[in-house]
Amino acid sequence: MLKLFLCLRYLRKKKIVFLSIAAVALSVSLLIVVASLFTGFIKAVEHAADEALGDVVLSPPIELAKYPLLIESLEETPIVEAATAALLAPGLLRLDTGNVRPVQVWGIDPRGRDRVTGFKKSLLRQKDTAGGPSFEIDGSEGKTGGFVGIAVINEPNELTDEYDLEAVESMIGKQIILTTGTASESEIKRRLLPFHIADVVETGVYQFDKGYMYLPIEELQRRLYPEAESPLAGQILIKLADNTDTEGALAVIAGIWRNFVDEQFDGDPYLLHRTEIVTSREMQRQYIAAYQKQMGILLAIFGVVSLGVILLVFCIFYMIVRLKQKDIAIIRSCGMARTSVALVFVNFGLCVGVIGSVIGAILGWLITVNVNTIEEWIRIIFGLKLWKSSVYLFNRIPNEVDWFATLLTIPIKVFGRQFAISLELYHIVLVAILAAAVGALIPAVVAATTKPVNILQYE
Amino acid sequence: MYKVTLAIRYLLRRRITYLAVLAVALCVFIVLVVMTVMAGLVNDFKHKNHLFAGDCVLSTESLVGFAHYEEFVRKLEETDCVEAVSPVVKSYALISRTGSQSKAGVEIMGLDPGLHGRATGFGETLDRYEEDFCRAFEPEHDPNLAGIVFGIDLLYRRDVYGNYTSEAGQSRMSYSVSCFPLTPRGATGTKAMDMVETKTFYYSDKSHSGLARVDGAMAYLPLEWAQTLCGMTDPNRVNAIHIKFRPGVKLSDGCERVASLWEGFKQGKAGEDYAYLLDAVTVRHWKDYRRSSIAPMEKEQTLMTVMFGFVGITTVFIVFVVSYMIISHKTKDIGILKSIGASNSDIIQLFSGFAFLVGLSGSGIGLFGGWLFLLKINQIEDWLFKHFTWQLWDRTIYAIGDIPNQIELKVVVTIFLSAIVACLVGVLVPSWQAARQKPAETLQVNQL
Repeated sequence: MLKLFLCLRYLRKKKIVFLSIAAVALSVSLLIVVASLFTGFIKAVEHAADEALGDVVLSPPIELAKYPLLIESLEETPIVEAATAALLAPGLLRLDTGNVRPVQVWGIDPRGRDRVTGFKKSLLRQKDTAGGPSFEIDGSEGKTGGFVGIAVINEPNELTDEYDLEAVESMIGKQIILTTGTASESEIKRRLLPFHIADVVETGVYQFDKGYMYLPIEELQRRLYPEAESPLAGQILIKLADNTDTEGALAVIAGIWRNFVDEQFDGDPYLLHRTEIVTSREMQRQYIAAYQKQMGILLAIFGVVSLGVILLVFCIFYMIVRLKQKDIAIIRSCGMARTSVALVFVNFGLCVGVIGSVIGAILGWLITVNVNTIEEWIRIIFGLKLWKSSVYLFNRIPNEVDWFATLLTIPIKVFGRQFAISLELYHIVLVAILAAAVGALIPAVVAATTKPVNILQYE
Repeated sequence: MYKVTLAIRYLLRRRITYLAVLAVALCVFIVLVVMTVMAGLVNDFKHKNHLFAGDCVLSTESLVGFAHYEEFVRKLEETDCVEAVSPVVKSYALISRTGSQSKAGVEIMGLDPGLHGRATGFGETLDRYEEDFCRAFEPEHDPNLAGIVFGIDLLYRRDVYGNYTSEAGQSRMSYSVSCFPLTPRGATGTKAMDMVETKTFYYSDKSHSGLARVDGAMAYLPLEWAQTLCGMTDPNRVNAIHIKFRPGVKLSDGCERVASLWEGFKQGKAGEDYAYLLDAVTVRHWKDYRRSSIAPMEKEQTLMTVMFGFVGITTVFIVFVVSYMIISHKTKDIGILKSIGASNSDIIQLFSGFAFLVGLSGSGIGLFGGWLFLLKINQIEDWLFKHFTWQLWDRTIYAIGDIPNQIELKVVVTIFLSAIVACLVGVLVPSWQAARQKPAETLQVNQL
């Protein structure tokens, strides 16, 4: 009880203690903001891959015939929720007289793609309508419709990073011409494909919005491969059922693929060995690893600089111990053990750590959650646009704080056995509390070794 | 004199002061290392972008390009502030090695190597023709054939050390390049509907600009051939004009001059054929032209500086606490000094001098440690990679060679001054409190 009383008293009476609380809070909030922004960005990259490609992508080395049979087989298994085909081709899009842009053309089945990737919510007009997405154009039955990425037809405003939605809306229904081609062994043939803009796609990922357009897969195939007898696909995008083990699912899909090739293509070894079946996240793995490494380095740098907090706590506590020698001597002379005296200051350090960390965590959370508002205010006040989708991929700064997000995984070897220590976001708070306690340790020892007889001498 | 003596005495005799010195040194060390590496990366990246683009770029985003460029190039060449001008075609093509069935989409840049080498740093990026860039499109085995220069990442892979693995026999390779020709209105070309323009080119050199996005996607062709392939010959069109200003011409002045020249030129052409293509043309200086590449790095550097500013507050706190502690133990010294005539400002100067010494010694140690660390940073990374396969950057992804370790005087001076200022700020309140102490109170018998 006495220890608690002294802790609280020092906390209230010694205003300098608030400096150590402020330093702990500052360091914790900074680390939380940096870590959250990085983990948010990495998550957004992974999520963007999921949204664009589904969970698993099957990419054969050549355009795959008879793909509906494969999709049927895939969808029969409980691990696959939906599968859809895509046909890809590069193209030049003529938007207006003298205005031609390069694009990546996706031949898709809009309903199938929606089931795999949730595509409909990216469509400007159709996202709030009932039913599945469609290439149909109001009042223009029989005409070919297509979707274009929003940044293909309209650049975001330099200052606000927002699209001129009126201008975008005015493009819907307009006829534009796609020039694409097919390459055979001997020649490359150009194909022209006029179509009407049925809707505009805004995924929130600038690269996709700037470079992609979508057409009905049958129509694209008809133009690119008029001689083909069966439907063709360049990729099969697969969505796994909820709570499916990815490794197991990949093995099952590989098995279905082998059966399909055996049955339909007499076990063609080229198809069997050159086809890639990977998760969409695995496709981004190299870049994700690079981002994670950058985050680790940045956190390590700020972590080392934050060691200053330990020094600060040490200085403040040492000062308090020196100033409160008489108090210490009195409680020691009343019979308090050395360890108890030391514990008063260690607990005091823990208190500082807890209060500072909690304030820091709240501050860090508040800054991260409101980072887009803060960025908007900086733009309004200083006219400085810090975040642009054309520069940083996404149109919003990732603003989620995931306390259990893994920041670092450190492999260690103990007695020949391999372990891995994972550092999660909430560990920053725990480490800060520990750091404050460590800072208080030496002053606590100094306090414990105080001899009452020396301090309480009359002279 | 006593102020200096006492300040040095407090620094040396009070061991707690070493903590403040340590905190300053740690902060200075980290900031120096991080800012040097970042500044090195950003400056190097900017330099490479500057070399790639020249000083000013007049361009359109449309692949159709714009006409009447020859006339404007002549106007530019007559302008006193312009040193060199290079018209360029930029488009996309399908490319395949002769004998191979696989085709890859690449960006193509049609240019006159002589002009482009003078307007930009194109020549410096070449391998074989670095000294004689005018011959960039001359294949080694037969200079009369049409040559092609590839971005180095299109041909070779980078290993974990950032070196390229070369392939024997590259110098005799030929490539088939196919483009979709476009009319000035952006429609299909004049040839049969299902044909594209195709031509065979022979490998003549590789270009290593150090810009991953350029080296991994760009193939360079002779300007006339690129115009033919892209259907930009009737009338002759280009997508961009790269401009280099004479030495001493301010970038903003030069760009303004080009922009006003362009406005006048455009107005003069109003009503002529293909004048509508001129409307989409913009004049930008190189930084603006390469903004999407440069801006993230510049902003990251600024954010790091701001964050270090926040972290530096802890150092201010430490100096504050240490000074506060020393002052609280030296009330008698202060009382005596004041009783023999020291003024308030003398006391403030005394403790400011102490803080200055803390800052000086801390930043001195930090800067020396940082310099030593930076000197060996690449060896340290090599050692870490050898023993723990750990690299600061994955060289197979990032086009970065050695870690930049050239210390800039500007960075050193800024860090040094910031450390001194932080220490002076930290001592401000304690020294003010010390100055306000009354000797009559501090020197009372019951206080002694």
